[in-house]
Amino acid sequence: MSVQFTGKVLTIATEIANNCQGLEAPFCQAECPMHTDAMGYVQLIREGKFDAAVQKIREKLFLPGTLGRICAHPCEKVCRREAEYGQSISIAALKRYAADKADREELWDTTFGHATGKTVAIVGSGPAGAQAAIDLRKEGHRVTIFERLPVLGGMLRVGIPAYRLPHAVLDFEYGYLDKLGVEIRRGVEVGKDIAIAHLREQYDAVILAHGAHIGMMPRVNGSDVAGITNAVEFLREIAFKRQSNVLGENVIVIGGGDVAMDCARSALRGGAKQVRLICLEKECDLPASKHEQESAAAEGVLFTFGWCVDDFLSTDGRVSGIRMKNCLAVIDETGRFNPRLGGDTHELQCDTVIFATGQRVADIADGMLKQTSGGRYLVDKDTLATDVPGVFVAGDAAGSTIAIEAMALGRKSAISVSRYLQGIGLTEGRNFALENSYKSKFEVPLPPDVVDLKRHHPNIMPAERRIQTFDECDLGLDDTTAFKEASRCLECECKDCMTECLMLNDFTHCPGELFSVFLAKGSIEAIVPYSCNMCNQCTLVCPKEYKLADAFAGMRKDFVKANKGKSPIKGHGAIDIHQRLSFSRAFTIRRKGRK
Amino acid sequence: MPGCSLPSYSPSNISKTIGFLQDVYPELSVVQKCCGKPTKALGQVDLLKARFGSLVQDIKHCEIDEIIVACQNCLNMLKESDEFQTVSLWERLPELGLPRELRGKAAQSDVVFSIHDSCPVRDTKGIHDGIRWTLAELGYKTVEPAQTRDRTRCCGFGGMIVPANPDLAKRVMDRRVKDMPTEHIVVYCAACRSSMLMGGGKAWHILDLLWGPVVTQASQPPENVLASPVKAWLNRYKSKAVINRTIT
Repeated sequence: MSVQFTGKVLTIATEIANNCQGLEAPFCQAECPMHTDAMGYVQLIREGKFDAAVQKIREKLFLPGTLGRICAHPCEKVCRREAEYGQSISIAALKRYAADKADREELWDTTFGHATGKTVAIVGSGPAGAQAAIDLRKEGHRVTIFERLPVLGGMLRVGIPAYRLPHAVLDFEYGYLDKLGVEIRRGVEVGKDIAIAHLREQYDAVILAHGAHIGMMPRVNGSDVAGITNAVEFLREIAFKRQSNVLGENVIVIGGGDVAMDCARSALRGGAKQVRLICLEKECDLPASKHEQESAAAEGVLFTFGWCVDDFLSTDGRVSGIRMKNCLAVIDETGRFNPRLGGDTHELQCDTVIFATGQRVADIADGMLKQTSGGRYLVDKDTLATDVPGVFVAGDAAGSTIAIEAMALGRKSAISVSRYLQGIGLTEGRNFALENSYKSKFEVPLPPDVVDLKRHHPNIMPAERRIQTFDECDLGLDDTTAFKEASRCLECECKDCMTECLMLNDFTHCPGELFSVFLAKGSIEAIVPYSCNMCNQCTLVCPKEYKLADAFAGMRKDFVKANKGKSPIKGHGAIDIHQRLSFSRAFTIRRKGRK
Repeated sequence: MPGCSLPSYSPSNISKTIGFLQDVYPELSVVQKCCGKPTKALGQVDLLKARFGSLVQDIKHCEIDEIIVACQNCLNMLKESDEFQTVSLWERLPELGLPRELRGKAAQSDVVFSIHDSCPVRDTKGIHDGIRWTLAELGYKTVEPAQTRDRTRCCGFGGMIVPANPDLAKRVMDRRVKDMPTEHIVVYCAACRSSMLMGGGKAWHILDLLWGPVVTQASQPPENVLASPVKAWLNRYKSKAVINRTIT
């Protein structure tokens, strides 16, 4: 039976399909570039189901313990408790808690698809390269990672200091690559030991995910002396040796971001007596996260805000001080980074200077690929494809700035490569919005009984003990605190109608889905509208007060119209007879009362 | 106007209610006919127009000032049409007062009734109040389920889903019975009563409590007449005969 649905039905259906909150992801999940089901694992932690929590995290992330420690957690910035009370759930700390408590190899999903016969070379084993390797290996492709260093993890391993991310945690979690059968070739530098052109010949596809490992230093007079280095080299040396050949006793770190904090705090641990951080920005505009800044200050790092290094002083070929000018503004009228300096000058003594002023991507492709600012390769931002067929880019080399973004780009590049290998168009039917962070449209009023509950913090080692060692200083949440913290989750999902209505559960996950499918197909099984009790209980609980019964009633009329005036439901033959009798002379009567 | 399910359920309730109303309104007219709500529920627009039209003709024939309705669907259909001044019997009862001999008749009953409100009149507070007033007047103790009055739930009968999706209807009925804090349930719709019985509950129509014997823990609810088409149509015919006999 072909049913023509009328305007009213389509209007209600469209409204519900577009705006029903049932399919809307919680804020945290939408914001996460990898769309980790944070609400899901927080609930499981609250319920004490730690294995299930780890498995839930691992559905999206192979690095629960790592990200639980170092993720910049964009999820927490959009958490509803943050928006309402400035007290976001400690999502990252809970993730770490679950990982520390329960993660073990038996819980890992090490299955992968049948061999496809296709091969992929991935340059770099950081979060982007590793994620791409995992996704492609899962599909049955043969994947080889080329890693320049003897260790895996890229910046996670040689950029982030061990006091924030112990190497054992990272190494354990990277063990997943071995379990999946990803081939890893350490100590092979692509662009030097092997040319990209060679990889292109040997492999069906290539992904460049070698990060941004060149420390940038502004041109400053007198910088060609000993004792001056950059963050990338300094932190890499620290990662391998827990000390640095360049490090003296009186250190100046230049830069105001989290990397500058890493350098300053590592310098203290490496034996420096005094560490001062100098940055262009005023204290209130510091790009570093508040938490990192406070930790550094507590450990004794000194801060000089609003100054710019102008000149180096040196003695016997080694830096002995800096001359600075005051910085009036960092950003110009057009919003670009363009510091405006004033006339004040000031000198400070030092024996070591570390520049933490940005990193750039090395050209390992011999000019085969175009590069843009910061050395990032020019790619199609949706597909991460380059101008060269079969060559894709991921991670910081494609523009990410934090680990979780790098992973999302790794996944994106893997989707593209997978399509490329199968001969499917790179953009065909692909929803790019879901491959990145997006804003949830969730808008359900806060339940009336919700109150502001303060965020719980993990236990932290005292500052004076922290700077003695590279041991992890964040000791994590204890059981009681983790439970309390997980219990604060507001569970931003709308299932009110699904809780109330039995019928909807027989046919869909939420009205938004039901009506979307209806609109897409232009049809619906008659039993769906004819199973509605028309009781409006869904409308009663719906935050948008959608009248599903009206939509179903409208559909019924359209079914009847298309079915020669009769209901399409077999059982309704009885109602027809019933109604005929109910209006028949035999069973009806009208008696007018006597006046 | 008694509607359909009530005359199919109980000619004696029809008879006693008419008698009671006649004492107050000596010129009482009665119309027994369907309002067409099932036709409407199926989506049969044209048929509904004709059928509801025939009901309007019958009521007009009686030249009434106001129509008192004992069925919640009839009430809504008539109110929507705005043809007549319409009121629910359950709202009218407190205004009329119960016959002296009925007041407090169940004061000694050991039953606590859970009240199930009809979902089509979820927003008609006067009906909810009238039912509670009536039960209090009779002397019955009552208790409210969590979903009551304007938050009441469907009994499972709504939307003509019983013939379309009987399994689902049964689950809705079972759930509504589970909502009830006590074993004994009072309703004011004969179809709701049938649903409560199907869902495993012990249910009485409020007219059973008005005109029938006092319900105690030992009482069994009247049988589910509506489940048997033969008995239901026979009753409907008997109700018609009652009206024919009473209104002269």
